[in-house]
Amino acid sequence: MKLELYGASRDFCKENFINFNLEEKSTIKKLRVAIIKFIEVNFKDNEGYKKIVNSSAFCSGKDVIVSDNYKISNNEKIGIIPPIGGG
Amino acid sequence: MLHTRVVDITKEKIELIRAEKFITSNKCGASIYFVGTVRDSNNSKKVISMTYDSHDTLVIKSFEEIYQSSIKKFNFDNSVVFIEHIKGKIKLGEISILIAVACKHRDQAYELSRFFIEEIKKKTPVWKKEHYKDGDSEWLEGNPIQKD
Repeated sequence: MKLELYGASRDFCKENFINFNLEEKSTIKKLRVAIIKFIEVNFKDNEGYKKIVNSSAFCSGKDVIVSDNYKISNNEKIGIIPPIGGG
Repeated sequence: MLHTRVVDITKEKIELIRAEKFITSNKCGASIYFVGTVRDSNNSKKVISMTYDSHDTLVIKSFEEIYQSSIKKFNFDNSVVFIEHIKGKIKLGEISILIAVACKHRDQAYELSRFFIEEIKKKTPVWKKEHYKDGDSEWLEGNPIQKD
């Protein structure tokens, strides 16, 4: 699946997205764990980045904010929504 | 009546004139313009510009949901709302958000304008990255998005 990056999570990768190989019907909870592992490997356990992941919401391919139990479809694009602060 | 848009700064700026044209109505006796701009300091750091990132589809959706909530909450007759939010890098003093409302009476207009900016702060997925005079830059922390 493809994780689309927004806000502070854009610092996780030079691209606007990260591809993850998750098992079929994995949940957002599993995706969160996979992103944390990605940070541990690529950013020496950066606590600031891990905090962003743990405080983020996620958005489905149908542009709906989904819970941690949401099952991700094959090749679904999921957006990470870090804490917001517009205006 | 509602107008919403995410404005890409590489193509155009947010302009008051567009809001004025949209909200002007003989049915309304009061108009309020809330204009958010980039200021020159934050947490003792000298800010020179700001980058706004957004999830455009969710931004528009949140504006529409906030509008529907405002109708349920206030039920003001003939109110008109115009909201535009910037996307991209803007300089000091440039407009990041414009909320223009027109209502029959002034107390309604003040109430509606305040409601929109406070709800947007809680529910609209927009992020700010400050750029400082010393060359550094930093995403601002923000708060987890709230759902109804």
